[in-house]
Amino acid sequence: MRGYWITWGVLLVFTAVMLWADAAPIPRLAFVVFMVAAMLTKASIIGANFMHLRAERAGIVLTVVVGLLVTAVVLYVLIVPDAARIHEMVSRYGPR
Amino acid sequence: MAHTDTRSIDRWAGGACPFDAGWRKVMMWWFIVTDGLLFAGFLASYGYARILAFNWPEQAEVFSLKYIAAMTFVLISSSATMASAVHAMAEGKRGQALKFVVFTAIGGIVFLGMQAYEWSHLIGEGARLVRNPWGEASFGAYFFLLTGFHGTHVLTGVVILVSTAIRLARNRSTKDGVEMAGLYWHFVDLVWVFIFTLFYLL
Repeated sequence: MRGYWITWGVLLVFTAVMLWADAAPIPRLAFVVFMVAAMLTKASIIGANFMHLRAERAGIVLTVVVGLLVTAVVLYVLIVPDAARIHEMVSRYGPR
Repeated sequence: MAHTDTRSIDRWAGGACPFDAGWRKVMMWWFIVTDGLLFAGFLASYGYARILAFNWPEQAEVFSLKYIAAMTFVLISSSATMASAVHAMAEGKRGQALKFVVFTAIGGIVFLGMQAYEWSHLIGEGARLVRNPWGEASFGAYFFLLTGFHGTHVLTGVVILVSTAIRLARNRSTKDGVEMAGLYWHFVDLVWVFIFTLFYLL
């Protein structure tokens, strides 16, 4: 049971560091990369330790993690360039 | 043909039970994956609106990040108590499991209360689904839909936890039942990690 409370402490430390980074003068790109990395690390810690994925058979871990990650990445890869393109067009030519 | 079948079974190393888990756990994981995809769709749509926007409000001007951090603290703590409940139940300590499930439900109720306060505060300041005083009109829609959808999951989780606590007190809940309630509750915590980062911090 002690392991769960260590995990709790680690998650709180991550949250505190993220809040500190939010107020710190960090360049935008570095800030976004850091936040996404911290978010994925926190999610992995919860999945592995609280949801016991660490102890599950590889089949279930791969199905859950890869399924969710690949779909999320595909969604963003398809969406982000389109949104960025429209943003640039509106910047250049103004709203319709 | 028979040779191919044998290789296929070896690769998955599980024979007739490739996941080596009971049907409840497998079904709960499938539910989590599908529900996770729903949230992924929501967040991707939010990302699209966010990139497209020219005047997305500064979160620090709209929200009290200390307050949101306190909400996060409550949810993470409730996840730790839930994991402890599952562990206690696995060791056959039913009384201890009941105590931790009750703590978890209290955490969920506190979180919901804090969210209700946050909503009423922002509504009082003029936030609506279609407009808000801070900038991009869709900000309000994404705020209410994302946090509202998550809050609905927390509420459902609280109902599941209270029902699990009652069953535990009546000596009816099984180890599996507490574990499934735990998986759902950790999923709710997991989703909050994404909302907290992508909506409140980035």
